[in-house]
Amino acid sequence: MPLNTHDKAAALAGVPLFAGISEDSMERLAAVAGEQAFGAGQFIVRQGQVGTGLYVILSGSVKVLRGADELAHLGAGEFFGELSVIDQQPRNASVQAAEATQVLALASWDLLGLLESDPQLALNMIKGLVARVRSAGEQHRH
Amino acid sequence: MAMTQQELVDMLSSLTLFADLTRPQLEQVAHKMTEESFPVGQRILRQGFTGTGFYVILDGEVAVKIDGEERAKLAKGDFFGEMSILLGEPPVADIVTLRQLHALHLGGPELEGFLRDHPQVMYRMLKTIALRLRNASRWRS
Repeated sequence: MPLNTHDKAAALAGVPLFAGISEDSMERLAAVAGEQAFGAGQFIVRQGQVGTGLYVILSGSVKVLRGADELAHLGAGEFFGELSVIDQQPRNASVQAAEATQVLALASWDLLGLLESDPQLALNMIKGLVARVRSAGEQHRH
Repeated sequence: MAMTQQELVDMLSSLTLFADLTRPQLEQVAHKMTEESFPVGQRILRQGFTGTGFYVILDGEVAVKIDGEERAKLAKGDFFGEMSILLGEPPVADIVTLRQLHALHLGGPELEGFLRDHPQVMYRMLKTIALRLRNASRWRS
């Protein structure tokens, strides 16, 4: 059953990445967010592909893979794909649905415009990235 | 090496982090941050200890050390200290000067307000952190 804009906004508002952003930004995001569904085992993004946006997990869960390595397991409320949005480099990992999974897709161009105009969103994204750098660094320590 | 306000603003205008700022905005940044100098061999941030600050290097070089092992070097134009502040957790690395260091400092509690006031700086920081994440991931082989 497809979500309407109001439902999408509600779903996005629950995601820490979008916490505290302006109502105007939230409406713009909800209006352009696209809903996608994946079955267990389906790839949502593939390493090396040109990235076109970021994904917010509405339900289900995914594995983040590089080659045979499983880097992370993400669930509802979490996001992925933001690196390619920020630096326009190809995807550095694949993301595969671990079970039936629903996501909201936000295109790079929509997001970049908002990052530059909504400081709270940029701040939330920096915090998200910083947390990931820290955990990526810690994985090397043993 | 004491700098005049003019020289400091000129120096800031050459750094990537502040590349999108106008002259008046650069002057605001120079006004909000304080210049500090550290001798060689000084530990500026300590792994596991509270106490935070955000630093932008104007001259000199530091080593980033985790558990005593050098992981990276930072020099003019690079910044450090933001991770602990933004996450509200102690630093996971020591930052130790390799050469005499001249840097701009901003107290931890002021960083978020500073970034909100200067979104162009925040955007540059976002790009740099994204690059660090790509590089951090590359170490896994």
